[in-house]
Amino acid sequence: MKIVQRTGPLSLLYAFMDAARWRPAADGATPRRERSIRIYVLETGGCEGCFMEIESLNGSAFALEQAGFVWVSDPADADWLLLTGAVTRVCAEMIDRAWRAMPPGKSLIAVGACAVDGGPFPASYATLGGLQALTPVRRSIPGCPPSPDDILRALQELAQL
Amino acid sequence: MIGMGRIIRSGERVALSHYHLDSEQWNAMLAAPGAALPLMSCWADDGRAYVLLLEGDRPLLASTAVEERRYLALSSRFAGAEWGERVAYDLYGVEAMDARGNGAPALDEGGWTSTWPLSSRPGPAAGGLRPLAGSHLLRPEQTGLSGPLEFSFDVLKGKIRNVDVCAGGAHRGVVSRLLGRTPEEAMPLVSRMTAGGFVAHPLAFARAVAQARGLVPGPGIRDVWMALLEIERMSLHLFDMARTARGVDAELLATHCDHAREAIARACAEQGASRRLMDMVSCDGFREGLEIVPLVQAVHEVMQPRLAALEELHRVFAPRLDGFAVLDARLAERFAVGGVTGRASGRSMDMRRREAGMRLEALRATGSSRGDARAREGLRLAEIRDSLKLLERILGSIGLEDDEPAPDRTDEGIGVAEGARGDVWYWVRLKNGLIENFHVRDPGVALLPALGAMLRGYPVSRVPAALGSIGISPAGIAL
Ligand code: SF4
Repeated sequence: MKIVQRTGPLSLLYAFMDAARWRPAADGATPRRERSIRIYVLETGGCEGCFMEIESLNGSAFALEQAGFVWVSDPADADWLLLTGAVTRVCAEMIDRAWRAMPPGKSLIAVGACAVDGGPFPASYATLGGLQALTPVRRSIPGCPPSPDDILRALQELAQL
Repeated sequence: MIGMGRIIRSGERVALSHYHLDSEQWNAMLAAPGAALPLMSCWADDGRAYVLLLEGDRPLLASTAVEERRYLALSSRFAGAEWGERVAYDLYGVEAMDARGNGAPALDEGGWTSTWPLSSRPGPAAGGLRPLAGSHLLRPEQTGLSGPLEFSFDVLKGKIRNVDVCAGGAHRGVVSRLLGRTPEEAMPLVSRMTAGGFVAHPLAFARAVAQARGLVPGPGIRDVWMALLEIERMSLHLFDMARTARGVDAELLATHCDHAREAIARACAEQGASRRLMDMVSCDGFREGLEIVPLVQAVHEVMQPRLAALEELHRVFAPRLDGFAVLDARLAERFAVGGVTGRASGRSMDMRRREAGMRLEALRATGSSRGDARAREGLRLAEIRDSLKLLERILGSIGLEDDEPAPDRTDEGIGVAEGARGDVWYWVRLKNGLIENFHVRDPGVALLPALGAMLRGYPVSRVPAALGSIGISPAGIAL
């Protein structure tokens, strides 16, 4: 894409227009759900790579909301808990706290190799080695880290189940 | 009057920059007249206590024997040494005598399978989690950071007076996972130390390993490493800028940063590299098949045209960051805070300047040294401009020879890389080709002792925005 450099008093307006021009469209059909799925994300002791890719997905370069998802900052408002990181023993309590705060009908999704089975950080004195140590992992998104596109695609697939 | 550097060099030299000190020399170092050399890191294990200092722009490592699990505390002389002492106690149970600070755990919040897990004589598990002291807590999921870091505060009349940090939630025990492996076996894990340094961490490690092996990477490898580091710098600066911008509701600026960062990631992926340049650096070079020239060209092409809009938007929104989360210049010096955060507070250290083959003329970024979030944001932008220039220069003379001599092989090496968030240091000791001992210092560690002063006077609700503006990775701090 060609980007024209502009400065001067109109530049702010151009910046608005550019931001709008780049705004991504959700791939495929807009989901026919009554309301968006609300996701809450917890990092539990990985390298932060997966978490930062989800942060990117929630930023302006991706159409998370158009795809039918919204990131919430309180687990009490969340439908899905997305978990990244190798689940350190210290973080187990945090996961429990978030999970209990979520309303009924909730789901748990492991994002990235760490969250599934520890990935590069298997169980040790400090880590549990992923969610599998706490519960059977039924929903997961592989990768180290998965890209925002991978994550979004997987979320959409999971939403259809 | 003998200065600290000379006292250290009076010890037994065991590697290029490492001196063994007996207890008398260690005491003399701690009591050396004049200003202390800047502390980069300190650590200890069952056998020895170490301190990594900077003399000019060169590392100087001193160590002494730990006897009966004790050594004389470095914090009695070096500001900023407390964190390393607390970590050493949590992992090995070795105690720093006459240490400053309240001795609160740095990593062991309870919940581990043993106490002093890396010690040759670990203790039994402590049981459940220990609550942190302090009247107010910021739970790990509330900090706005990308990883779990727990804060406790003393608050008076709604304003922060004191801060304590515990990084146990992010501690994965990487040291224990790497001991006994070859550097090549260790590299995949080193490449996942922190997403705040997918290039910087493995690069500092590769440099340490090369020094231990008595090797100097050729100019072709050196330039590829430099180029990868600059691409990562731009990408992470954009990440930190977006986060800072969102902290003051400058959504339009954040939007442009997001798009630019994603454009870089896509350019990397399209050129056959990974999006965030994971696994590109290897111990003796870079991933096979990596074509650096088209990669640099592609990244340059997507980033250069976006700069003008970013600069304009920064100009518009920067006043919102005025005077926010100030790191005082004296504290930046005192704790040897590096990276953008240190430079925006007037500490001019940039380890790229000492690298062989560096195109120094490209490194021009200067800016305000007021130490506030505005100065940091402005400097990140200026450094992105420099990175683009540096990439142009590298392309213009890639692989240009220079005559850096190879060090003697001592099986021990120190490596540094000036990452986006500051100077990343690795120390490695090999035995029969395997990692016998090892230390990592992420730049975030230098920020910890300065946080109290930075956050003093703010309500706890402003902490996430302040932390966002300094670029800090819990994974890098806790390891
Ligand atoms: S799965 Fe990989 S990228 Fe994700 S947190 Fe773990 S180590 Fe990092």
